[in-house]
Amino acid sequence: MDILRKLEKGALLLFLVLTIAANGSWAAEYKKVDHITLAKYKKWVDDPTPLNKVLPYSKVLPPDVYAKLTFDIPAMKKAWEEAVGFKAPDVVGKIAPEIKPGKYTYKDIETMPGLKELMIPYYRDHAFKPAGPPWAVNFSEFTIIPTQQYYYALPIAQATVKNMGKTKLDDKGYIIDDTYQGGLPYPRPAGKFKGQEILYNTVKKYLNSESDDSTGQFKGFNRNLKMDFDGLIEQRVLRVAKRLVIPPLGYLDERARARKEENAILLTYVAPRDQAGTALQAITFEDAKKFDEMYLYIGVLRRLRQMSTTDTQDALGGQDVIYDDNRGFSALTPTRNPWVAEVIADREFLVPTTTDGSLYVSSKGWELKNVEMERRPCWVVKMTQMDKNYVYGSKILYIDKETLLWYLYESYDQKGRLYRTGHEIRTFIPEMGMHSQRFVWNRDHIDLHSSFAIPFLTPMYYMKRADVGLEGLIKKGK
Amino acid sequence: MENPSHQGNLIIYKPYEGRVTMKRLFLFCILGVMVVGLIIAHGACALELAVADQPLTIQGYITQGAQFSITGKDRYDSPRDLQAALTNVFLEATYTPRSDLKFYGSGMFTMDWVYDIKTSNSEWNRKQFDKSRNEGLYMDNEYWQLLKEAHVTWTPPNWNFRVGKQIVSWGEMLGFRLMDQINPLDQRRGMADVEFETSIIPIWLVKAEYFVPQKPTWMQELGVEFVFNPNVTFIRNQLILGGNEYSGIWNPELDLNILPTPPFPRQKAGHTNLILDKPDAFDSQGFEYGGRIKAMIKDSVITLNYYYGLDKNPVGRVVGATFTPRSDGLLEVNPQIKGYYPLFRYVGATFSREFSSLRASALGNVAPLLRLEALYAFSNTFMTSTNDLEKRDEVRWAASVDWKVKIPWLNPRAYFAISPQFMHQRILNYPSDFNLATPGGKLYENNYMGTLNINTTYLHNKLAPSFFWMRDLTNRANMFRYQVTYDYSNEWRFTLGAVTLDGTKKGQGFELFHNKDYMYFKISYKWG
Repeated sequence: MDILRKLEKGALLLFLVLTIAANGSWAAEYKKVDHITLAKYKKWVDDPTPLNKVLPYSKVLPPDVYAKLTFDIPAMKKAWEEAVGFKAPDVVGKIAPEIKPGKYTYKDIETMPGLKELMIPYYRDHAFKPAGPPWAVNFSEFTIIPTQQYYYALPIAQATVKNMGKTKLDDKGYIIDDTYQGGLPYPRPAGKFKGQEILYNTVKKYLNSESDDSTGQFKGFNRNLKMDFDGLIEQRVLRVAKRLVIPPLGYLDERARARKEENAILLTYVAPRDQAGTALQAITFEDAKKFDEMYLYIGVLRRLRQMSTTDTQDALGGQDVIYDDNRGFSALTPTRNPWVAEVIADREFLVPTTTDGSLYVSSKGWELKNVEMERRPCWVVKMTQMDKNYVYGSKILYIDKETLLWYLYESYDQKGRLYRTGHEIRTFIPEMGMHSQRFVWNRDHIDLHSSFAIPFLTPMYYMKRADVGLEGLIKKGK
Repeated sequence: MENPSHQGNLIIYKPYEGRVTMKRLFLFCILGVMVVGLIIAHGACALELAVADQPLTIQGYITQGAQFSITGKDRYDSPRDLQAALTNVFLEATYTPRSDLKFYGSGMFTMDWVYDIKTSNSEWNRKQFDKSRNEGLYMDNEYWQLLKEAHVTWTPPNWNFRVGKQIVSWGEMLGFRLMDQINPLDQRRGMADVEFETSIIPIWLVKAEYFVPQKPTWMQELGVEFVFNPNVTFIRNQLILGGNEYSGIWNPELDLNILPTPPFPRQKAGHTNLILDKPDAFDSQGFEYGGRIKAMIKDSVITLNYYYGLDKNPVGRVVGATFTPRSDGLLEVNPQIKGYYPLFRYVGATFSREFSSLRASALGNVAPLLRLEALYAFSNTFMTSTNDLEKRDEVRWAASVDWKVKIPWLNPRAYFAISPQFMHQRILNYPSDFNLATPGGKLYENNYMGTLNINTTYLHNKLAPSFFWMRDLTNRANMFRYQVTYDYSNEWRFTLGAVTLDGTKKGQGFELFHNKDYMYFKISYKWG
């Protein structure tokens, strides 16, 4: 049978499949903002478009979903003030009050000691300067904006207030899982294990949405600022425990309840080519003693493979993070890599943010532009690692006292050398009470390598277990 | 029958017929110009075009390799110096008009410039390597080589359908193919070229997967997969069939003295002519079926597999032989084998699990991950030393461990990945008075193979040295591969390596290729 007849038969078969596919009917969900759509509104480089204004969630989400995810702002403000006991604008301005909202450049550091004092030392010493090797993501100027009160979606705030005091720690400062009922567990950390309580807030954080699908450019640079990694990733995150905003509330399903799962994550590489079609599924657990589960669909092999869950200290390919850095630090558990946490500072700092989404990266030296800085009340928590074989000997985290989220972590190796740093710049969606990552950057201070990711997430109200499970893994794979 | 030709009273079937035409050469040149143009226009980024307002993404890579002999000896079966200059151009395109519908296509252009470079080389011509040019080793030009994959994937809730030319890969082992029998393999250009996209041959399949939504709580995931091969084009494993003029630089060296010496010169195995009965396109005799149940249960991944299809390696009986004098004074024996593709049916299972309790802080705290794979094959057909065919059941099983350790004094920043594998094949009711064999060689009642892969990275993952060892325990033979890759940039990668082969049992295992030691260098450029 010649090639033409073979092609005819193949085409007929394809036609039948397409006909069925075209006419198939099933529940239609709204689409997420993918990188193609996003690029129509804001390019990932050299584009100061205020993304929050041109692409607000009121435009992204269907009206009924948007309505379900928005709440009364005064009610959220009141509830969150009740939870943490203060409003940020009321507790800042004590250090260097002469530093007012306005534009500043790196040169002002030398002439304004107050500015110097207000800046987080890492930013002051390693980032607040013009673009130039060895680091991408320097910034030579910023605008200080007035401090605002941040809060959470009303159900989260209410749950935090309702469950205040219920979450208990054992005599070594580790959470007793069954006592945690939802919300942020320690909105007013105090006592002997104050450091641990602050860290547990970041472990149980309600960052982004309870289910979201994001797209993100991911770039890596060597010490000469030459791009050596050009990637595009998509990530689905589904909170499966202590759901407060998107139904089903509580546990997503019986499986999450029985296994005490916490989050399900599906990460897909769209680029570069040799990683395209590779998808990673991870399941985290409420019990920190239990390792995350990881399964990888390796696109180039066309195979699903179980991955080692204990391989958390080796750098992820081409990046400046290890798996343990994803939360900011490895799991808090006495059974592996135990930490001792202490609060070494309680004061205000200028931290980077973006209110309108106009933050952007310049192709000239990969400098960060349109940076806004805000006075924020912060804890500085030092974590000391008790296992001398762990990759890090200590960590320092800067954590917002109102949002309970970290801005920056510094990781030091066992010899006390600064090894890696991680940074988050978030935007705040007031009507949703949602804190959303908009710029994430990392540095490896030993290899002199830097990287950044520019995510845009879409809350996916109808995300199901299948979207992040085996089905999602196979479907997203090559 | 495959590609017959007539010489006197003998019907000789060439195992491969290349059809290089001016038209195809012209088309390839056009393709090359397009590829270069795409690269110039779009640099290292994926090309994205809008088709009906949805993205069509095009990515790809180009590799150029060179292979040099390092045996240092003048052997008839192995050219000195440059042995291969392989170019691969790979293009893939993805179009997703809807979130549940995806079209994917890929093409590969492969050309070995050594045939042009050495066209006037006296040694190359004297040893008849130049004639292998016409056996498809100069340029891949069969449609199923140029068109790698072409499929449409439809993913309604709980389902995943894929129709078209595709790869379905089963099993846990890498390098050993126990369960992974659905797609044929292209081994014409050597055994160390283990890049998946160049060695696995996609075929026309229909695949359907169902993800069971309701499961018991002790089972995290459950999926059922069904694969059907409608036999659009029957493609077998592309083997090394011997003879410099047919197999090129991978012609094995095998003594085959079937005529008395003297008065005849010593004889070596030449090229095998295959007279094969293969199913015609869409012939139901070529239909293949596979079914698999996948489950994630209590931190383990388990699959149960069943396959009914044809062995992609033929079996047959020797029906004749021709003799060809060689330029080194020896005589080449070219057996003719008449045969067919027998049934290959098995049930099998795979298992994988990490043993987190076995981690050690001093070694980096990574626990070993165990992978197991086993199958029971029913009534497989084997060739015999008495020139007959026999059916026997067989069991194959393999185990591997994936582990990572920290060795600070060797690499203070990255781990060493260590992956040993072990395979055992047992032929049940092995005959006592003759031996069994496959086209790959003699089979014993028990056959053992092992591999060890060690790799790490330096310079922030840019420099990746690796060591791979395959030990044929049964035949006491080895293949070693030493390799280092360097990612100069996001687009450019350089690879340098060497492969050595040896064995102690004459004419078996890797000993057949003991004159093939080589080093290689490859440059890759990728975009997208």
